[in-house]
Amino acid sequence: MQYKSINKEEWDKTLEQLLLSYTIFASVSNAFGQDYELIGPADIAKISYNKPKPATSLKSFFLPVKENVTSERVDEKPRIILGIPNCDIEGLCLLDEIYLDKEFNDIFYRKRREDTLLISSDCIGIQEHCHCLSYNIKPYSAKNADLAVINLDGTIVLRIITGKGEDFIKNIPAAKSLEDKTIISAIEKEQLATEKLLATSNKGLPDYKLTGKLVTEAKEEIWEKYSARCVSCGACTTICPTCTCFLLIDKPGFEKIKQMDACQYPGFERVAGGKDALHELSNRFRNRYMCKYLWKPKKFKSLACTGCGRCIEACIGKINKNELFMELAE
Amino acid sequence: MLNNKNIYKPIRAKLTDVIDESSLIKTFVLVPEEEFSFKTGQFIELSVDGIGEAPFTPSSSPLVTEKLEVTVMKTGYVTEYMHALKPGVNMGIRGPFGRGYPVEKFYDKEVLILGGGCGFAPIRSLLYNLKAISDKLRKVTLCYGSKTPEDCIYKPYISELRQTPKFEVFRSVDNADGNWNERVGVVTILLDDVKVDIKNSIAVVCGPPVMMKFGTKKLLEMGYPEHDIYLSMEKNMSCGLGKCGHCMMGEFFVCKDGPVFTYNEIKDQPDIWN
Repeated sequence: MQYKSINKEEWDKTLEQLLLSYTIFASVSNAFGQDYELIGPADIAKISYNKPKPATSLKSFFLPVKENVTSERVDEKPRIILGIPNCDIEGLCLLDEIYLDKEFNDIFYRKRREDTLLISSDCIGIQEHCHCLSYNIKPYSAKNADLAVINLDGTIVLRIITGKGEDFIKNIPAAKSLEDKTIISAIEKEQLATEKLLATSNKGLPDYKLTGKLVTEAKEEIWEKYSARCVSCGACTTICPTCTCFLLIDKPGFEKIKQMDACQYPGFERVAGGKDALHELSNRFRNRYMCKYLWKPKKFKSLACTGCGRCIEACIGKINKNELFMELAE
Repeated sequence: MLNNKNIYKPIRAKLTDVIDESSLIKTFVLVPEEEFSFKTGQFIELSVDGIGEAPFTPSSSPLVTEKLEVTVMKTGYVTEYMHALKPGVNMGIRGPFGRGYPVEKFYDKEVLILGGGCGFAPIRSLLYNLKAISDKLRKVTLCYGSKTPEDCIYKPYISELRQTPKFEVFRSVDNADGNWNERVGVVTILLDDVKVDIKNSIAVVCGPPVMMKFGTKKLLEMGYPEHDIYLSMEKNMSCGLGKCGHCMMGEFFVCKDGPVFTYNEIKDQPDIWN
């Protein structure tokens, strides 16, 4: 792993320079904890580093809620997204498998992916529902992001992960190669500390190898019990970094609008004539679990749940999927 | 290397003729503006401008590429608009999508086809294909059921098929009138009439879900192995690309992994007949 370091002041100046050629989004603390915000020169100092997950998942940068997919692709300024937790980076891998499929690639998704530099941020500390480690995802990136950042007492340390990240760093002369073993071991110490917090917090939570078996063997009563508080609002799927279902809506001129959709909404599987395999709310509720923990893992290499815990936070019925899995594992 | 084709954009096709097949079923004859071909059993997304699109398996021969025919039953929002269309308008086509019938696996076999209602549409395309390769097949038997004699579609084609060497046709209706001299009852009763050498035969089933369910059950009882029963599945195929998620049947995207599956491939998936 190649490390570069730059002091925070220089880094902020660099970001200001980068704003001339890039659109930058970064994680910023706000009333809701923290979330991605569009960064202008005045916002650079507000960027928060190494706090666990922004409220919104990364997918919203690549899969807009609504877009015309029959229009021409628009060339926009390349983007930097800074401060991405590793759960979101791993979530993006599933989106890549689906949308960059060799047979049918989505040119709109692809353009956004190509034009975006992903700078991950090591999580220092955890939030209440964070459980990435249960699904074998570390709270820091070692692959799939372009770069990873950690702010150690005013020193910004960047790890180079991809060739795209390496090319980007070449244009930042202020970032110097880091050979200081004490800083590197300080980083590793922080990473390990967060892993320990997760291990304690997630004790007893079934891992991703078990979740598929558990949902397959779950009795009907469990779905009825947990879905009793579900109102089919779709907040869990909307906030999820790996839920990607959508709807195509026709407009005059054979135009198609692609709009995010969710299996939790009534009518998702309804066909002409009225048949609807997911008519019952408890079936829709179960469908999401079967999809994430059994069906998608059979079909794709990437995980369909990265343990970010946002679905638990977003649920207005206070449904906690971790409680459900703990009950299944009893 | 990924290609730059826009997978969501339909090509235009001129509607040149509309054929009434029954009170609820019409066949739309389309001439695509761009080169277009499909394999039998694959489906397309057909759109009415500004209204919506829906999945259909073409009912015409896959060997004819200058035009294609799509047989549509009036059963929902989009199909109601389709039925009101007159020749001359443009429609949109995306596709072809999915996995069709593996006709090369039918060589040296008897092909038993069980169809019901508008499920005859994909079957007619298959029959055109099978006729073209009939020298490689032992026999083709069509068992087709509909609600009433009026609901029987492709009547001229049935007559033509009955004159075709190696092809035989059995028909039934749920409710007969005075002019009906074929079988009366659900389509599976026709299976009592056919003589098949099951060991050297494969079966194809296409029709409404309830008919597929009981048709498959009967074929299994007759002794067909699960991997020799080909089912054309119907779900809410929306994008056709294995992305939108609407047609998931367990671990399968019906649009991409299907719509044609063997029974043993999908028998353990949930809600296959819903």
